[in-house]
Amino acid sequence: MADVWRLIPEFLVLGGALVALFAERARSDSRVSAGIAAAFAAAAAVAAAVIGPGGDLFGGQLSLDHIAVFARVAIGALATAWLLWVWGRGVTGERCAEAAALALFSVAGGMLMASARDLIVLYVSLELSTIPAYVLMGYRRDDARGLEGALKYFLLSMLTSLVMLYGLSFVFGISGSTSYGQISLGAAGPLGQVAFVLVLVGLFAKLSAAPFHYWTPDAYAGAQAGAVAYVSTVPKIAGVVALVRLVGAMAPNVAGASGVLVVAAVFSMVLGNLAAFPQSDVRRMMAYSGVAHTGYILLATGAGTAGGPAAVFYAVAYAVPSMAVMMLAEEEGPALDDLGGLASRRPAVAWASLAWLLSLVGIPPVVGFFGKLYLFTSAVRAGFIWPVLVAVAMSVVSAGYYFRLIRSAFLGQRKGAPVVERRTSAATAFVLITVIVLALGVLASPVLAFLGMRF
Amino acid sequence: MSETLPVAAFWILALASLGGAVAMMATRNVVHAAFWLLEVMLATAGIYLLLSAEFLALVQVLVYAGAVAVLTLFTVMLTLRRREDAVREFPVAWGSMAIASLFTGGILLVLARFRPALAQVPETIPGVEAFGEQMFTTWALPFELASIVLLAALVGAVWWTGGEDL
Repeated sequence: MADVWRLIPEFLVLGGALVALFAERARSDSRVSAGIAAAFAAAAAVAAAVIGPGGDLFGGQLSLDHIAVFARVAIGALATAWLLWVWGRGVTGERCAEAAALALFSVAGGMLMASARDLIVLYVSLELSTIPAYVLMGYRRDDARGLEGALKYFLLSMLTSLVMLYGLSFVFGISGSTSYGQISLGAAGPLGQVAFVLVLVGLFAKLSAAPFHYWTPDAYAGAQAGAVAYVSTVPKIAGVVALVRLVGAMAPNVAGASGVLVVAAVFSMVLGNLAAFPQSDVRRMMAYSGVAHTGYILLATGAGTAGGPAAVFYAVAYAVPSMAVMMLAEEEGPALDDLGGLASRRPAVAWASLAWLLSLVGIPPVVGFFGKLYLFTSAVRAGFIWPVLVAVAMSVVSAGYYFRLIRSAFLGQRKGAPVVERRTSAATAFVLITVIVLALGVLASPVLAFLGMRF
Repeated sequence: MSETLPVAAFWILALASLGGAVAMMATRNVVHAAFWLLEVMLATAGIYLLLSAEFLALVQVLVYAGAVAVLTLFTVMLTLRRREDAVREFPVAWGSMAIASLFTGGILLVLARFRPALAQVPETIPGVEAFGEQMFTTWALPFELASIVLLAALVGAVWWTGGEDL
C-alpha cells in the first residue's frame, strides 16, 4: 500500500471532477468549470509523466508499466485539449459543469483501465470510463435525436458489456483466478475459445470493430460533434490498451485466437473505409473511419504481444487528430460542405486541419504515417501478408474521403458561414493537438522504443 | 430444543414464502402484488439465514428486497394515473401456467438427479466477516472504483432528469 502515491494522477482527476461540479457556485459562468477541469487533467498528465513507470500495485491488480505510463499521459493530454476547447466554446444551450465532471470521471476510468491487470478491476474501470460517455452523447436534454442516439449507444454497450462479463466469468471459472498472470485458457479446449470470443465481443463493441459497429454512425450523427470528439477518442485509447493486455493474457494456447482478430480487422478495414466514402455528414464519415482505424489496430493486436506497442501508439495517433476534426465539425457545422471556404475565413485552422487529415490518411511526416508504418511492420512480422496488403489498399481508399474534407476546406465555397468567435482557450486546444500530431511524428521511434517495440 | 427451533422457523418461513407467492398471484391489485413479492423475498432471505448462508441472505435483502422490489413499486406507481387503475382483471393464462409447471418440473428433476453432488457441501462456510475482510483488503481497489462508478452514474442521472434550475 506504500505505493499508492503512484496513483496521484487518478486522484487529481477525481478531485478535479468534484471541484468542477461545484465550481460555478463561486462564479456564475459554468464554463469556468471546464477550465478548472482542464487544469486538473493537465496536472494529471504531467504527474503521470513525472511518476513514470513503476511496479505492480494492489498485489498485481494494477501494473504501471511503460505502456500504462504512455496511455495515462496521452489520455490526460487529450482530455486537457477537449476541456480547454469546451472552456472556450461551451456546450450549445446547456451548462458545461456536469460535462466537465463526467469527462474527468471517464478519464479516471480510462487511466485505471490502461493499467489494469485483473479482470474485476478491468471491468469496473471499463464501466467507469463508458458510463459518463452515455450521458455526454445525449448531453443536450431538449434534443430528441441526441437522446435517441445516446439510448441506442447505452443499450448496445450495456448488452455487450454483459456478454463480456459472462465471458469473464468463464475465464475465471477455467483459470481459478482473475489475475492476468494466472489466466490460462489453453487446457479448456473449446470452452476456452468460447470464453475468448465472448470477452472480445465487449471490447469490440466499445472500440466499434466490424461485427459490432452498427451503433456507431447513428449514435455519432445524433450527438453533438463536440461530445463525439471526446467519446470517440479518449475511451478508445484505454480500450486498445485493455485489449492488448487481455489478448496477451488470454490468447496464448487458444487455438485460432489471432485468426479471430485478423478476420475482424479485415472486415472492419474494408467495411469502414468503403462505408465512409459516400457520407456527407462529417460525424458519420468519422464514425465509419473510426471503424476502419480500429481494424488497423486489431491487425497489430492479432500479432500477439510483439504488436502491442504499435497498436497502443496507433490508437493515440488516431485519437488525437480525429478529436480535432470533430471539434472543427462542431464549430463549422456537421455537413461536409460546411467546411467550404475555411481557408479564407480561418487560414490557420485550415492549415492545421491539413496536418490532422494527412495524419489520418497516414502521410509523412505526421504521426499517422509512423503509426501505420510500425503497425504494418509488426503485422508483417507475424506473417499477415495478405491482411496488410488489404490494409494498405484501404489506406489509399481512405485518402479519397479525407481529401474531400481538404478540398472542401481549401477550394469549396460557402455562403452565410457562421462567424466563429475567437477564443484563446479553444485555439490553445487546436495548437496543443497540432503540436502533438507533429511532435509524435518526429519522436515516433523513441516513443515506440519506450513502449517496448523491437525494431 | 436445538433441533425443533430451526425446524419450526423453517416451516414458518417456507409457508410465508409459498403463501406470499400464492397471494401475489391471487391479488387483483398490482401494488398489493408488489408488496407480496417483497414479502416472498424477505422470507427467502430468512431461509438463507437458517442455512447459515449469511452473505446470500444479506444480498437477498439488499438487492432483491431493497432494490428490485422498490424499483417494481416505483414503476407501478409512476405508471398508474389513478388509484383504480391498480386493480386488474384476472385472466387465467394457461400458457404461463404450463411454462411455470415445466420450470418447476425441470428444477425438481435436476435436484433428484444430482443429489449426490449437492451433498458435498463444505463443513464450514466462510461467514460475512471473512468476506468483508477480503473485500476491504485484497479487493479494496475494485470496491472503491465501484463507488466512483455509482457517483458518475448519479451525476449523469441527475443531469438528465434535472430541471432547468439545476
